[in-house]
Amino acid sequence: MKADFKTWFARLPAMPGMLACGVRQPNGKCIGYGDDRIYPAEKIEKLLGQFAGLHEPLAAAEFSPRWTTWAFEYGHLRFVMRPDKRLLMLLVSPDTEAVRELDRIAEEFLAGTIK
Amino acid sequence: MPNTKKIQPDRRILIVDDDHDDLATAGEAFRELSGERWEVRLATDVAEALAVLQANKVALVVLAVNTPVLDVALLLGSFGRQHPPFKKAVLAHPATDEVRAASLAAGADRFFEKPVSAEGLKSVFEKLCELLDWTSPPGLQGVLRSVGLADIVQMECLGRESSVIELFHEQPLGRIYIEDGLIIHAVCGEISGERAFQKLLALTGGTFELRDFELPPERTINRTWEFLLGEAQRLRELSGQRSKAGENLATGAKGVSSEPSGQAAEMLICSAAGEVLYNWQSPAPAARVALLRNVARQAEKLIPDLQLGKLDRVEIQMAGGRAILQPRADRMVFVRITNPA
Repeated sequence: MKADFKTWFARLPAMPGMLACGVRQPNGKCIGYGDDRIYPAEKIEKLLGQFAGLHEPLAAAEFSPRWTTWAFEYGHLRFVMRPDKRLLMLLVSPDTEAVRELDRIAEEFLAGTIK
Repeated sequence: MPNTKKIQPDRRILIVDDDHDDLATAGEAFRELSGERWEVRLATDVAEALAVLQANKVALVVLAVNTPVLDVALLLGSFGRQHPPFKKAVLAHPATDEVRAASLAAGADRFFEKPVSAEGLKSVFEKLCELLDWTSPPGLQGVLRSVGLADIVQMECLGRESSVIELFHEQPLGRIYIEDGLIIHAVCGEISGERAFQKLLALTGGTFELRDFELPPERTINRTWEFLLGEAQRLRELSGQRSKAGENLATGAKGVSSEPSGQAAEMLICSAAGEVLYNWQSPAPAARVALLRNVARQAEKLIPDLQLGKLDRVEIQMAGGRAILQPRADRMVFVRITNPA
């Protein structure tokens, strides 16, 4: 993983309302940060793996998602898949700055300017 | 020796805790850990907290919750939106899932177990520093641009839900009241009724929140939601055409752009068992039903781990538009919206 991606990714957990974030490399290796005891790194890895499994049915249904957002009562879960198969996961609290930043973060991740 | 360090307003924090000893300990610890750079205000109840917020610009409110003495949602809610925006952190003891869920639902930026040791206080202090240091980068994109208010209104009406949609763009802009799937009232600043509804639907910047239904002060709308959303679409297209023609439209709404939010391309409603109840222009109903059921199954797997409450919807953002899937216990909804040409 190149240094500029690490810097970009390391800044995400400090965002107000960011409960957890993680990234899954094409080789399956994951890095995750959780906000509290509810979201340890192992759980983030599991979530990334579960979503990676859902990506195939979406592609099979003729959807090529740039991202998907799972809106729950108490939080929003955003997954962003890059063409190089790197997967980003963001878990944010509703009504916070983080939820308003989701699109910008997703676009930055997809833009390929972060390597 | 007088303290000559100048404290910036962005380092003024307010701690609210009804336990006097814990309050004093946390206040002293945060002052020391910050090297006296934090101005720490203390309050033991809502009235004191509101008085501090009225008199000062506060960057961060740290709310200690000793359940069930304090109702976190009520307290965070009571701060309301009348004050300049501030960040919010909740320290709970015990840090139960219920308090955590209530805190997040009420807009807390961070949730921690209330520290009981010096090390714990230091750890929380470091995380609060990160929260305070966070600044918004320029070029924010509002939630309305990605989700589409019309989509939410449509889904609430299709589902015969009762709710209040509140819209913000730095400050509250207006509300749309939906009762049993009927749009019954809208207010936008000084105006109300259909005009207010159309003005709110024309917004493409800002955010919105879906709140529990409450009775509006009056009922000002009696047209069907299909007509109202159709009219909103027509007005958007008209606005777009005029913009292309170089006309100067006086829309009168702050933050309004000429970008249409998209056009419904297909819609499907089915029972939880997969029986198609309504199909409008879906080219592959069986595939849509299969997708909805797959999403519902995945949600069942995700929900216990996430502890985020019920799934409301899944949004799939694609290059040419987006799809919204709503897998609920009694019925499932699929809506696809295409980007404007």
